[in-house]
Amino acid sequence: MASVSISHMILFIASMVIAASVAGVFTSSVNDLSNAIADQGLEVSDSVRTDVEVISDNGTGACVYNCSGNGNLTLLVKNTGTQQLPARGDLIDVLVNNQFQPPGDVSVTVLGDDDVWRSNAVVRIEIAEPGLGSGDHRAKVILNGDEEVFEFRIP
Amino acid sequence: MGFSVSGSAAIIFAALFIAFGMWYTASANTFEQLNDAKSDRTDAVRAAGSSGVDVTNATYNASTDELTVTVENTGAAQLTLDSTDLLVDGQYQTDWQDNATVEGNADTRLWLGSEVLTVTVSLPSQPDRVKVVAGTGVSDTAGVTAA
Repeated sequence: MASVSISHMILFIASMVIAASVAGVFTSSVNDLSNAIADQGLEVSDSVRTDVEVISDNGTGACVYNCSGNGNLTLLVKNTGTQQLPARGDLIDVLVNNQFQPPGDVSVTVLGDDDVWRSNAVVRIEIAEPGLGSGDHRAKVILNGDEEVFEFRIP
Repeated sequence: MGFSVSGSAAIIFAALFIAFGMWYTASANTFEQLNDAKSDRTDAVRAAGSSGVDVTNATYNASTDELTVTVENTGAAQLTLDSTDLLVDGQYQTDWQDNATVEGNADTRLWLGSEVLTVTVSLPSQPDRVKVVAGTGVSDTAGVTAA
């Protein structure tokens, strides 16, 4: 009789251990999935809220390139979205004529009375791109998945 | 045998319950966040669609070294001076709001539909062009004429 109870007890413990490990794996997988859903949601809502507009004047007579004589391309970018954006050269991707500009060549300054790049504030992005010849050029600013293209002409 | 079946079923059931709780919280929060972002975006797009600015006059007076720009809010959206930007020859101007008047009123910062904004900026020489950008991103440019 004792052998029956002992074998029952062993089977009971074994089934508990198996059930507990199945439950542990299951809950930790769902936890990972939930965290991933929350992260992804945050990222998507950030990119939906992000909207920027290049407001530089590219008409004849306005200065876009080499304004202060140091070979910089100057872009004025307005935050027309609904959230504050990072005004940092390493978080804003800039392409000039399809060439990626390394973060060291991109400097960002918030203009006006604002310290941070909040909604409606404007930043000046200076891109060190010496040697741009005369003719048509295009610059692309990418931030949080929002892309803006600015085309200009150097006389 | 009876205890082991019901015991392990209880453990699995509890795990399912906890997992559903975690998944539901994450999904509901995410859904709410996306909904908020989407409705903000819709509002911004609607405001941009219903706003418009028109630079009616830009005159440089060489005797007083002043550029005077008049801009009409041709849209239905309400604009504010603090969210409006002024570019003269592509150069961003700051602190022009203090000298600006809306319909002759210097104290207001609101610039409502069909109201005319008048901006006066001191400049050493005559610029070629001005650009006015409203908070919603719509803009208008005009050439500067001599007084």
